[in-house]
Amino acid sequence: MKKINSLVCVTAAFFAASTALAGNVSVFGPWLGGDQENVEAVLDGYANATGNTYSYVGSDSFEQQVRIDAEAGSSANVSVFPQPGLAADFAKLGFLTPLASGTGDWVRDNYAAGQSWVDLGTYAGPDGKDNLYGFFYKIDVKSLVWYSPENFEDAGYAVPSTMEELKAFNDQIVADGSTPWCIGLGSGGATGWPATDWVEDLMLRTQSPAVYDQWVSNEIKFNDPRVVAAIEQFGAFARNEAYVSGGSGAVSTTDFRDSPKGLFSSPPQCYMHRQASFIPVFFPEGISVGEDADFFYFPAYASSNLGKPVLGAGTLFSITNDSPEAHSLIEYLQTTEAHEIWMARKGFLTPHKGVDTSVFSDPTLKKMNDILLGATTFRFDGSDLMPGGVGAGSFWTGMVDYADGASAQSVADAIQASWDALK
Amino acid sequence: MDNIVGKKSSLSWAVNISVAVLVILWLIPTIGLLVSSFRTADQISTSGWWKAFNSNEQNIIVRTANPQTQKIIDGKYVIEGMLFSSEKEMTIRVWGVSSRAIDGYIPGETAKLTKGGEITLRGDGHYRMINENPFTGSRGMRVFVTAPMAPEFTLDNYRKVLFDPKNVEGMGKAFLSTLTVTIPATIIPILIAAFAAYALAWMQFPGRALLVAFVVGLLVVPLQMALIPLLKLHMHIGIGKGFLGVWLAHTGFGLPLAIYLLRNYMIGLPKDIIENARIDGASDFKIFMKLILPLSFPALAAFSIFQFLWTWNDLLVAKVFLLDSSGQTEVMTAKLVELLGTKGGNWEILATSAFVSIVVPLIVFFTLQKYLVRGLLTGSIK
Repeated sequence: MKKINSLVCVTAAFFAASTALAGNVSVFGPWLGGDQENVEAVLDGYANATGNTYSYVGSDSFEQQVRIDAEAGSSANVSVFPQPGLAADFAKLGFLTPLASGTGDWVRDNYAAGQSWVDLGTYAGPDGKDNLYGFFYKIDVKSLVWYSPENFEDAGYAVPSTMEELKAFNDQIVADGSTPWCIGLGSGGATGWPATDWVEDLMLRTQSPAVYDQWVSNEIKFNDPRVVAAIEQFGAFARNEAYVSGGSGAVSTTDFRDSPKGLFSSPPQCYMHRQASFIPVFFPEGISVGEDADFFYFPAYASSNLGKPVLGAGTLFSITNDSPEAHSLIEYLQTTEAHEIWMARKGFLTPHKGVDTSVFSDPTLKKMNDILLGATTFRFDGSDLMPGGVGAGSFWTGMVDYADGASAQSVADAIQASWDALK
Repeated sequence: MDNIVGKKSSLSWAVNISVAVLVILWLIPTIGLLVSSFRTADQISTSGWWKAFNSNEQNIIVRTANPQTQKIIDGKYVIEGMLFSSEKEMTIRVWGVSSRAIDGYIPGETAKLTKGGEITLRGDGHYRMINENPFTGSRGMRVFVTAPMAPEFTLDNYRKVLFDPKNVEGMGKAFLSTLTVTIPATIIPILIAAFAAYALAWMQFPGRALLVAFVVGLLVVPLQMALIPLLKLHMHIGIGKGFLGVWLAHTGFGLPLAIYLLRNYMIGLPKDIIENARIDGASDFKIFMKLILPLSFPALAAFSIFQFLWTWNDLLVAKVFLLDSSGQTEVMTAKLVELLGTKGGNWEILATSAFVSIVVPLIVFFTLQKYLVRGLLTGSIK
């Protein structure tokens, strides 16, 4: 009988939920598990501040589902896009509502490198006119190299501060009979993406930001010698048998979630791992960031005159089903409180200049945020900005081919061909 | 003389062996999954499941006690303790104090520490650190130990999936949601298909053959093609996302196979009894209820197993037609995906949830399985 009662309850809940309550905002995002608890804490803050209610649903196949919902007209009020490229497509198709006027000015004034965040969130609408559609919130820094300080101490190594030092350091580790890097490109259907981050980071370290921007928008071709050179720079790390744990053949088959574990094994399989700020989630149980694991900035060439470029990524909030509550949520995200709630939890970085950085749950996050705030150049993950067929397709598969031994030129040619086919 | 009825073929041993090989091949992944569901994430990522049963030698890193626990004995600073918790019995083969030389010492030897002082480690994990000066640092020192380890299994994964206070409520609700989806989504298509199959098998009307061909043709339409147009239709006529929508979708996607299967079975029923019933004045409805339905039970059971398993395991249709932004109607498959985390890769949860969600389909299968083979053969032999 009890079972039947709860069955009735569920059915009742369904009917209640299907008639939209006044003052409710529905949010659809890519976060699940621990991240879902975090975003719900922020949304709780919104509910307390405004008296509105919210409902959040996460999905691991966000990119596909958001499209189905948009096509069918069943979108949530607010959708959280992990890639600006997808949001730009949506804006063009008319699925997004422009943010309230003044939001752009606020971002320009309150975010570090504010104009670049406005530019990343501004797309052409269905009428071809540019509007601000996306509000960036929660940033990942990608230019990080993770290591175990105690292993460095045992071996008497110091953290390299320039790319020249890093390259000499690679050879030193090999000369000492160890392996410098753990690199894994495996990620199910997205296999290859970690290598695109490498190439982007090395582009920023060998070419000016302007060239990077032209590359991302295909104003210079993918098979341009400058891009091919950046791919080959990645090859200098990943295709050197002695540099990579398991040999270069293991790069494309090792899962990116498993590869950092080599840092902490006994004896260590590698000394360094280049990956974004979210990677500690995949460290073995009991590893505490700041003590067992630490990171340093993936260094730039001292000889080049490019400063300290930082590669990052981020999620943006967009309105996919217009309502006053959706706008009030975007407004709430402009308060320092909305940033500090997640800062006090885990895995959150923000370019908001007004926040109190002492609320970060651990000092390493503060250190990462300092890298973000201290960047001379900040560039968004290029593959997220390229059209989906390239940035989430041929660029990934091309990098797997390259890691498996294809030449950089042929891989770049193939990627450019796939880009031309999309035009 | 090999093909005399009733005599076993001389090649029956080949059949038996190939059946045995096929069964083992099919079972291997399942067994691997079952073993993995009792292992921790770290075990899964470091060694294969087939190694789970042997005690094998492992290199592990353990820490000595915190420097704050040091005592002064005879004017020297001393830290004493056990590296392993008491319930684990281990015998250390070699050990070391630096990641560069993890096998530098054998039990009983004393190692010099780079930061001053020395450590002596016994084979059972008991250690003693002595230093002229106080030990410093916020944490204990790393000790690298190589020891044979007994196989270890854990129930933690099942605890996390089923009883974790954070998701136990959600899991219960998801279980009910799944039942709410599955039961009507199994019954509705069977009802409709049984009527349709009778009509297509035993009622005379023009265009019947074409209609059957059309239904068979629908079998090859991939459901992915229909997702967006169907959802658009649902939104347009006001059904929206919800249980009603998902029932209709499952019914629609299940009907071609159901009609095809049941029609083929019904057409194989003896013609005489149906004609007799007609002559006795029974209406079509009466024939259907009194004769066809009881006789078709194996086919109905077979199809209901198919449909039940498919709707139970379904994630795609549920995500498209059911999961709205309220989050109140989450089915079990969606809940399990959620447990996998934003970037996936929690293999231990994946393995465990596979076995959790398999329980109900197994019960259904074993209660109805005697009809399954009979039902599967419908129409293929007369």
